Amino acid sequence: MKFLAPAALWFSLALPAVVVFYLLKRKRVTRVVASTLLWQRFLAETQASAPLQRLRHNWLLVLQLLLLSLLVLALARPYFSGTEATGKLMVVVIDASASMQATDETPSRFERARKDALGLVDGLNSGKGGQMVVLVAGANAEVRQSATSEKAALRRAIEGAKVTDSPTRLVEALRVAETLIRDKPEAEIHLFSDGAIPELSEFETKELRMVFHRVGKGARNAGIVAFDVKPNPEDPAKRALFLSIANVHDQPFEARVELSFEGQLVDTKAMHLDATNTTPIVFLASQARDGVFTAKLVVDDDLAADNQASVVSLLPQPVHVQLVTKGNRFLEKALAAAGPNVETTVVAEPAPDAKPDLVVLDDIEPATWPKGNVLSFRAAPTNWFEGAVGTIESPPIVNWRNTHPLLRFVAFDSVQIAQARAVKLPPWGLSLVDAPQSPLIVAGEVGRQRIVWVAFNPLESTWPLRISFPIFVANAVEWLNPASAKSEQFLVKPGDPFRFPLAASVATANVTGPDGQTRALALNPLATEFVFADTARQGVYRVQLGTNRLAFAANLLDAIETNIRPRDSLDLGRFAQVKATTEKKANLESWRWFALGALGVMLGEWWWFHRRTA
Amino acid sequence: MAGILTPQLLRRLEQFQLLAARRAKSSSKGERRSRARGQSVEFADHRNYVVGDDLRYLDWNLFGRLDRLFLKLYEEERELPVRIFIDCSESMMFGTPPKFDFARQVAAAVGYVALCGFDRVAVCPFPEARPVDFDDPARFNLQTAVRGALRSVRGRKSAMQYFQNLTALRGGGPADFNASLKRGAMEARQTGLAIVLGDFLDPGGYEPGLNALIGRGFEVNVVQILAPEELNPTAFGDLRLVDSETGALQEVTFGKFRLAAYRQSVANYVQRLREFCQSRGMGFFSVGSDTPLEDLLLKQLRASEIWA
Repeated sequence: MKFLAPAALWFSLALPAVVVFYLLKRKRVTRVVASTLLWQRFLAETQASAPLQRLRHNWLLVLQLLLLSLLVLALARPYFSGTEATGKLMVVVIDASASMQATDETPSRFERARKDALGLVDGLNSGKGGQMVVLVAGANAEVRQSATSEKAALRRAIEGAKVTDSPTRLVEALRVAETLIRDKPEAEIHLFSDGAIPELSEFETKELRMVFHRVGKGARNAGIVAFDVKPNPEDPAKRALFLSIANVHDQPFEARVELSFEGQLVDTKAMHLDATNTTPIVFLASQARDGVFTAKLVVDDDLAADNQASVVSLLPQPVHVQLVTKGNRFLEKALAAAGPNVETTVVAEPAPDAKPDLVVLDDIEPATWPKGNVLSFRAAPTNWFEGAVGTIESPPIVNWRNTHPLLRFVAFDSVQIAQARAVKLPPWGLSLVDAPQSPLIVAGEVGRQRIVWVAFNPLESTWPLRISFPIFVANAVEWLNPASAKSEQFLVKPGDPFRFPLAASVATANVTGPDGQTRALALNPLATEFVFADTARQGVYRVQLGTNRLAFAANLLDAIETNIRPRDSLDLGRFAQVKATTEKKANLESWRWFALGALGVMLGEWWWFHRRTA
Repeated sequence: MAGILTPQLLRRLEQFQLLAARRAKSSSKGERRSRARGQSVEFADHRNYVVGDDLRYLDWNLFGRLDRLFLKLYEEERELPVRIFIDCSESMMFGTPPKFDFARQVAAAVGYVALCGFDRVAVCPFPEARPVDFDDPARFNLQTAVRGALRSVRGRKSAMQYFQNLTALRGGGPADFNASLKRGAMEARQTGLAIVLGDFLDPGGYEPGLNALIGRGFEVNVVQILAPEELNPTAFGDLRLVDSETGALQEVTFGKFRLAAYRQSVANYVQRLREFCQSRGMGFFSVGSDTPLEDLLLKQLRASEIWA
């Protein structure tokens, strides 16, 4: 313990003064008694006569000395931990993501982080020009307090911070913090987080001077990490709901999953969640109208935010597919097998008045390119690719991206291609299948048009003979179906904006959040899109746009947030690392505690006095 | 003598007789059995006739049978000297009622019982009367006279005078308890019953004085009289206490929360005195000056067989 104002210790000279007052004769009432013998006996039996021992038995004096010494100590402004005031500028970054709601710290990780940050404020040496910035990394990085040395403002900023349901978005906050400390050799970033941070490789070479204050103790958590709704392939009348439930604890959990549709309980399943495992679960539910399925995981764990997820499920609509082909039985069969709702029309040339949901171009370059989503084999308009389109002979398939939804359950293990087009990967697209020279399948979005382009004619390859071909076509129909794209847009991450294209101009919108509060928003009548950004809380938001009612769900569904195991270090890319600090580098002023103690002693003395005189 | 003892109490006391465990050693005639041989109706022994013996006491029956001259001896009945030590120091003047008043009442009662039994009563007030303790020389002279008269009282007819003298007795000044008792023991020509009335709050202790009485052969009974204020103090706060006899100062901070501790230490003091007395065969009584007199005289003293 050290003192910021050691000069105040001179006040301790008052301590002997108190003793002297006690040694001085007190004003006493003189009284003549028959004999003082009995009194002498009494005093001899109850107390020793030496003055020091007499003082020791005088509780009032002890209390007063205690009171005075506590006050003197408080005046001397003691603080703990001996490092010099670190950094002229401290950038405090508080993680406000969903995992910070975990209650393994009391009352929660976020409160603990807030308390630690307030301790850092106490230690701020504002007298020597120390300054602090408070950033809160919730759904988005928020500068709660710009650089100041005023502790009250800093405390207010920290106390006003709120935890959100969003995944960790530390990158933005650290980016801001990095610019603040750049070129300031004494500046430092203080990150208060549990370390559930996805990717910080951006800062690998930045030499971030960061102190990682880790919060969190345990990993007692299970949560929903994936939730999806699909038409049931076996029974078109029903919907299949796929859930993944992760248990990051090293003990198994017994849990129950409750599925409800529009608030009505539909199904419930008891589950055994193995330790550190992800368990899939499928519900089958019939659905009569568009609505919201909500899955609730009933389990006793430390983080409640990830125990619930909702998904907006729209009734399946028939998909109108226009196949423009000179004749391709493989493709026709594959499209027919793509799904019960797929209605395929085979034409030689796309009709301009027909408005299919998607167009499949089988090596035909139409006179007018369709406006909707396109699955194109070999055919490509000139504006898709930059540079010349070449040809490569028998390109080997070296890599494919099987994590993409288009390639789900699709493998290219024994596919040979006679000839393919060679293009440069366009900026709008993502290469799903690669040959060494050129991408072979490109998926992406041009404007509002989704495109899947295959660089070769399947008939010039062995692909149609493989089981992967019809699966790919089915995946492509699903991915290109505007309705599925639509249902995806009703799912957002907490903190992400919800966007909805407006067909007609709407003046006002009413949004009812998960907390039940309705907010009326005025819209620009010229806007073609409704954007709602205040989605920090997870749950179901219901929007009324004019006469149009719709709902969207903000879901955490984030395996990284669900894994609340506190990390000992933060990896900045592959080579840099920030270790968690446990020792506090701040000077924690503790005079408040001494002053509080002094107050307690004073109250105790008051009580003692009243007991004496009662 | 208006009411040092009530007439009802006096009548009760007339029926009592002081009990002495030992035979009287007095030289004066009385009504108690003694080791001395003399004239009475109680036969004691025979002895050989020597020339000059009174022929009236010859046992003629024995002379007829044995043809030898024997003299019949009878037990002489003697008086029991009762010595009453009264502490008249300044400290006895305290208390409501004053401890000294209570002591005088006890002395009157004991003396009356003794006088009714044809025993000699000697009252020894201590300390000695000093001129400085009395503002008026006439009153000092009166005290000297009173004390002289109390030195030896005998006979029931002297009871009224005895009571008057006791009533006139005044005290004051510091007392040396031990020295007074020692001198009283030495002065006594015959030993007998000794009653010590006082508060036993002498800074010099009480052991040597009581030991002197025992050593002289007295049968000692101790009556400790404490004032109610001493048993349950009523003064609280920061006090400077002045000793009435020695003038010694004692500072004390006292509150109700220490009352129990004070009572305990008083009880300890009394207990120590009691144990001292009992270990030496003395009778011990500790009373407050507000104790009903009958309670002490008719119950406690009787129960411990001082009189019956």
